[in-house]
This record gives sequence, structure tokens and C-alpha cells, in this order.
Amino acid sequence: MFGMIFDSVLRFATEYNQYFSSGMAYLGAGVAVVAGLGPGIGQGFAAGKAAEAVGRQPEAQGKILVTTLVTQAVAETTGLYALLVAFILIGK
Amino acid sequence: MIKFTFFENLSPQVISTLIVVTFLAIVFIIVGLKVKKLDPHKMPKGFLLFCILVVEAFNKMVKSYVQEKPYRFFAPYLFTIIVFLAFANTISLFGLNAPLSNLGVALSFSVMTFFVLKIAEFKYLGVIKKVDGLLGPVKPMAILMLPINLVGEIATPFSMGLRLFVNLMGGAVIATMVYAALHWTLGIIAGLFLHAIFDIFFGLIQAFVFFMLTTVNISMATDA
Repeated sequence: MFGMIFDSVLRFATEYNQYFSSGMAYLGAGVAVVAGLGPGIGQGFAAGKAAEAVGRQPEAQGKILVTTLVTQAVAETTGLYALLVAFILIGK
Repeated sequence: MIKFTFFENLSPQVISTLIVVTFLAIVFIIVGLKVKKLDPHKMPKGFLLFCILVVEAFNKMVKSYVQEKPYRFFAPYLFTIIVFLAFANTISLFGLNAPLSNLGVALSFSVMTFFVLKIAEFKYLGVIKKVDGLLGPVKPMAILMLPINLVGEIATPFSMGLRLFVNLMGGAVIATMVYAALHWTLGIIAGLFLHAIFDIFFGLIQAFVFFMLTTVNISMATDA
């Protein structure tokens, strides 16, 4: 299976032209955005814990909301880098 | 033969940055003049009261994160940053391009943050304590820790600027894609939700997050 993929990539590489290159760039953009998995899990975890905290201490809701927003925005960073890489690849 | 020109064509994002800066400068100067003439025995009214309440709430919030001395020095800078970002991120509601969707504008924010953090460190921490912090707690490991810490010094402001850029840029790209795909009658309906999410919600959250991260970094730089 793996050898077959490798062979086909090799065959494409020998017939290399600009369509092949831009196609690979789009493929790379698609693969890069898979990094969105990580921030999704992380943000969901943070949101779940925040909901738990509000359930336990409803009077601290304001502070919990602020902390959650900031930590979620920090967790988002890696996903945003993936998006940036995808944009750069599309613009190629 | 090199042609010399004073002004290249400004990009639309830079033009909208200049518009926001001019607008805010006029508003701030007028409010400042009015506050100076205020009678302390009377209750202020209308827009002036709103401005005073906003500044009060902001001061209370910053005070809970930063100590007294750095608070006195950095609060005006932080207030300017959050007001500018809040206006700049929602300016695309008025048909202008979002200023932060230009990499140059966004990275100038990281340069500003870098210098502000350095000033905070030199003013309230001192050179000796800073170098001690860079070398790490275990002195024999200093040769390993020093490069990592030096990279961290640059990475923090850089990632803050880049976060602003990619958020606004992503919103702008998605809005453009949807508008290009739809007929204009559908575009009006879609634009209602797009601008509500990407400009108002994400824009204000990013402004708040940038302000919050700057505050936390300043308090970390001055405490230690």
C-alpha cells in the first residue's frame, strides 16, 4: 500500500510541472488545517471546566468568564498558525 | 536609475488605520478639554458621564492585575491600546478594511509590546534581576536555558501580534469568499451573521485578549 503511494508520487515528480506544484500547495493547505483538531479539543476542555466552575461558584461568574476567554484565545494560537500556513500556501 | 517617491500608494488597511487614529484623537482631545473644565460640585451628564464611567471601570480592572506603581505608568498606554483595537476591529462595519488584517499593522503592535515589556523590566525589575531570571534558577544549566529564554523574549510579543493578524485576516477572507459566492440579495442576509460574528464578537474579544495579555505580561515583568 505504502509502496504504491510512494511509486505514484515518484511518477508525478518525474512529470513535474506548475500544475503539480500548485496542486501540492493546495493539498498542503488542507493538511495544515488538520491542526485545528488540537485547539478544538483544548478549547472544549477549557469551556467544560469553566462551566463546572460556574456551577460550583455562581457568584464568581464574571472572573471565570474573563479567565476562560483569555485562556481559550491563548489555546487558539496553534490553530491560527495552521491557518496562516494554509493562507500562505494558497497564495503561492 | 532609482526613482525616489515620498509616498508609495498606501494600502487600504493603512488608510483605515489613519482614519481610526484621527477620529480617536479628535474624540480624546474634545473629551479631555471638557473634563478639564468640569465643575467638581455638579454631576456630569450624557457622553461625559459615560466616558468617566468607562475609565473608572477600566482603572478598577487594571488595578486588580498590576501593582500600584506600574499601574500609574502603564494604564494610559493600556487604555489607548484597547480603545484603538476595539474601534479598529469593528471598523469594517462601516465599509472600510479592518486595519489589523494587514501584517504590517499587526506586527507593529508586537514591536510596541516588545518595547513596553522591556521598559517595564528595566524600570521596575532592574538589569541584574533580569539577567538572573534569563539564566534560570539552576546556574550550571544556564548555558542551556539562556537561548530558550532569549527566544521566549521575542516569541511572546510576536505571537500576540500574529494572533491579531490571523483572526482579522481569517474573518476578512471568509467574508470575501461568502460575498463572492452569493448573489447580493442573499449576501445581505449572510452579511448580517458574518459581520456579527467575525467583526463584533471576535474583534472585540481579540481586542480584550490583547489588552489582557499585555497587562498580565507587564505584571509578570514587574513582579518576579
